Amino acid sequence: MSLYVYCLGDDLSGAAFEGLAGVGGARVRVLSLGVLSAVVSEAEEGATNVDAENLRAHNRVNAAALAHTTPLPCRFGTRAAPERLGEYVTSNETALASALARVRGCVEMSVKLLEKSEVGSRKSEVEGDAVGTAPSAAGAGTAFLLKKRRELLGEEGARRRAEEAAAWLASGVGELARETAARLSPSEAIFVRAAHLVERARVEEYRDRLRTLAAARPDLRLLTSGPWPPYSFSDIKQ
Amino acid sequence: MADEEFELDEEEELSLLETLDHVLDRGLVIAGEVTIAVADVDLVYLGLNLLLGSVETVDRVLGERERRVELLSRRAKPSGG
Repeated sequence: MSLYVYCLGDDLSGAAFEGLAGVGGARVRVLSLGVLSAVVSEAEEGATNVDAENLRAHNRVNAAALAHTTPLPCRFGTRAAPERLGEYVTSNETALASALARVRGCVEMSVKLLEKSEVGSRKSEVEGDAVGTAPSAAGAGTAFLLKKRRELLGEEGARRRAEEAAAWLASGVGELARETAARLSPSEAIFVRAAHLVERARVEEYRDRLRTLAAARPDLRLLTSGPWPPYSFSDIKQ
Repeated sequence: MADEEFELDEEEELSLLETLDHVLDRGLVIAGEVTIAVADVDLVYLGLNLLLGSVETVDRVLGERERRVELLSRRAKPSGG
């Protein structure tokens, strides 16, 4: 038998999951593993399908946990035999306890940054006038090198803009985030993905701050969501 | 009524994409035990670092939302003259 594992915690109660359908419609329960416990359901045969229903089920269960306590949410598709799960928790007890202490009393809030008229600005950057154009008399080799130079300058500019935007966001959120995890993708439309670990009591203050930040940067779109279980702050070094 | 339904669909789509982004490549990993199968390839680009796939959807939905807010604020203003 294999278990589908949603999250681990030290303050999980079965009552929070009563009547809740898990992945594959399975009944959700809390499995005690000593000091810690896991929220699990029976796993179906084979791999877990990445589909809307299962994604929502995984998130629904972890959201139910989050309503009562801050758990360590597992990645979608995590499954383990009961004895293997027990071994994992026992052999990583100290690291898991530290990870729980790190997120205790907090939730994850998410911000994604997109540039308005992103396509136009990226295109003009790559084809930018500032870097010059090939003289009409230039040969194929010169044209190739100039094209390469424009591409490199475009990538460099995109990287700088992503770093600047991420730094602006981090500075704006400031002390409201206990921790920040940011990922930059300069060449993509969503060029900054930031996750903030925010104390529950400060979530409204955090939202107000983001509204102020969004108003200050009409060149950016801020896609915000949360509260989430702390997916970005849960992994442990093994 | 049709507009309202459309709006709900959009929000639902965004919410699913956000969920996808959070649960698919983040979270506690119990070594070697993440087992998934991608049935709906429209949702994701596959690698082992699975990423949010439908950036265009996010951009479109946010654009629509901004246009609606602008329209509503224009309607709320009393006409001049």
